[in-house]
Amino acid sequence: MMDASRGVGGIYVKVVPPPDVNKNTSWFQYPGVWTTYILIIFISWLLILSVFGCDAGTAWTVVNLAHFAVTYRFFHWKKGTPFAEDQGDYAKLTWWEQMDNGRQNTRNRKFLIVVPVVLYLIASHTTDYRNPVLILNTIAVFWLVIAKFPNMHKVRIFGINSDYDT
Amino acid sequence: MATGMVMEMKETLVSLLDAPLADAVIFGIHIDGHLFLETLLVVVIAFLLLQKSYQPEKRPLTEQEIDQLCDEWTPEPLHPPITKEMELSPPVLESAAGPHTVVNGKDVINLSSANYLGLIGHPKIKEACNAALEKYGVGACGPRGFYGTIDVHMDLEAKIAQFMGTPDSILYSYGLATVSSVIPAFCKRGDLILADEGVNWGIQNGLFLSRSTVRYFKHNDMASLEALLEDVRQEDRRKKKVLNRRFIVVEAIYQNSGEMVPLDTVVRLKEKYLFRVLVDESNSIGVLGKTGRGLSEHFNIPVEKIDIITSAMGHSLASVGGFCTGSAKVVDHQRLSGAGYCFSAALPPFLASASITALELLEDNPVLLTRLRRNISFFRSKLATIPGVVVRGHALSPLIFLHLQRSGSFAEDSVILQQIVDKMLEEGVLLSASKRSLLDKCKLGAGIRIMVTASHTEAELLSVSSSLGNVIQSVVTAQS
Repeated sequence: MMDASRGVGGIYVKVVPPPDVNKNTSWFQYPGVWTTYILIIFISWLLILSVFGCDAGTAWTVVNLAHFAVTYRFFHWKKGTPFAEDQGDYAKLTWWEQMDNGRQNTRNRKFLIVVPVVLYLIASHTTDYRNPVLILNTIAVFWLVIAKFPNMHKVRIFGINSDYDT
Repeated sequence: MATGMVMEMKETLVSLLDAPLADAVIFGIHIDGHLFLETLLVVVIAFLLLQKSYQPEKRPLTEQEIDQLCDEWTPEPLHPPITKEMELSPPVLESAAGPHTVVNGKDVINLSSANYLGLIGHPKIKEACNAALEKYGVGACGPRGFYGTIDVHMDLEAKIAQFMGTPDSILYSYGLATVSSVIPAFCKRGDLILADEGVNWGIQNGLFLSRSTVRYFKHNDMASLEALLEDVRQEDRRKKKVLNRRFIVVEAIYQNSGEMVPLDTVVRLKEKYLFRVLVDESNSIGVLGKTGRGLSEHFNIPVEKIDIITSAMGHSLASVGGFCTGSAKVVDHQRLSGAGYCFSAALPPFLASASITALELLEDNPVLLTRLRRNISFFRSKLATIPGVVVRGHALSPLIFLHLQRSGSFAEDSVILQQIVDKMLEEGVLLSASKRSLLDKCKLGAGIRIMVTASHTEAELLSVSSSLGNVIQSVVTAQS
């Protein structure tokens, strides 16, 4: 950052990111959301281990697949918001598209893209790349990561999940 | 078969990856295909993390997209398709809506006007109206807050307050808009209202406009109200919510059924559960109580216990408009928050004079009330003898509802009742069947709504009941 006029402080406009007015996604701006997200994944892994008594790899696979199912439905399938006050501004946008006001490649989005890839790494490593689960894990990570690409913003493949009638 | 092929492909891939690195050991780490894959993924992650952030530009819709959207759009009609019932036109009165009126050139007995004390056409009221017209002209030409307040408005408000025994009252220019303005003035989003499910459309509109949480209890069922209050209390204990305003909204005599609310029970419940109560007394002012002061007088409950009383003046007071009365704070708040008060033209002064005179007549002639009560009980006893219909409504209510004994849905009943009403009009009696707007959420059944007034004679009521008996018998036997 060029600071040519060192003596004159504060002439550069401080850019503050605008607050998120969308109540559906504003909760993701809070500090601690990332940690909570990771902790939820980790604790669900522990729960699965304790409830089903399986080996670590299977548990991670279950976590990965459950994470895929849940996040795909809530981030990429369900459109709109549960709040009536926004009067349908976001009715055609999925949660992912609403995030950060549609800005691509923000820190939150990068975090959310990296999480499934890391989960895939852990799951496939701990299952030693065994075949049936490896294919499932790979499909899950591909599906999720492609859905999160910036090029897929507002894209509805084959018109699936698009709605043009009110 | 397919999995076999996939397995083979995977084997070859892994062997390909493994082959050149099969024996490589670098710094003690055994390099194999898995490590390769993991490194690849780490590289992918790093690549994703290093992407720059940008806002995708809002591009306008292309011609093709616009065409596609237009083709796919099917407009919703402004109004649902018109049915035959909607095309029925109500009878047109060609004279004043007194106990007798002229319809289609014929003189008929009028049992459809809420002229409970028979004050329509009273010479004293006409005289007061004429004097007011001479003095003030017709309109007030302005809302109450902007030079539309005339001394007769202040006089009427003082008169109503003195009549009802409350500190102050406020006038509205339109009866239906009274309760639709009062409820949103006091209840906002986040407040709780418990309303009877049989309240009329004006109250329903007010409840909707207030944006509060509304829960309905069964029509005139105090046990249902108490259960709902208990429910609310349980929820409070569980959730420890922010304090909000709580109201119970009831009508003194329900427009949709003629039932009377047991005000003593309601007051007891509201004091126990710390709610406020709003009573719409449109059909009970000038009807109930020893001197016609309404429901609180009838139950001997001090009027201070009812927080808000609203009423339309188009019923017993034979005028137009409405009023709301209560404590000084209640009334004062509405001077700035009552939508119908601030943003509508003031009541025409001659109508205010008419109301003042009507109240004076009511105070000076308690015989009107006795006559009304006698007519009600007489007529009810005669109607009870008619087979095929059930007489509903409180024994003291001037609003009497006749429901079919074998009743179906609202639509089916309405058809039969309309036939009865039409036949009665030919016999020389003007009745009306209940009609509900498409917006009305009331689920009560359809009935013939009879409004008994103090100026009907017993002979007239007798003839009406006998012809009603004949007509109902003929229509009901024709049905079955």
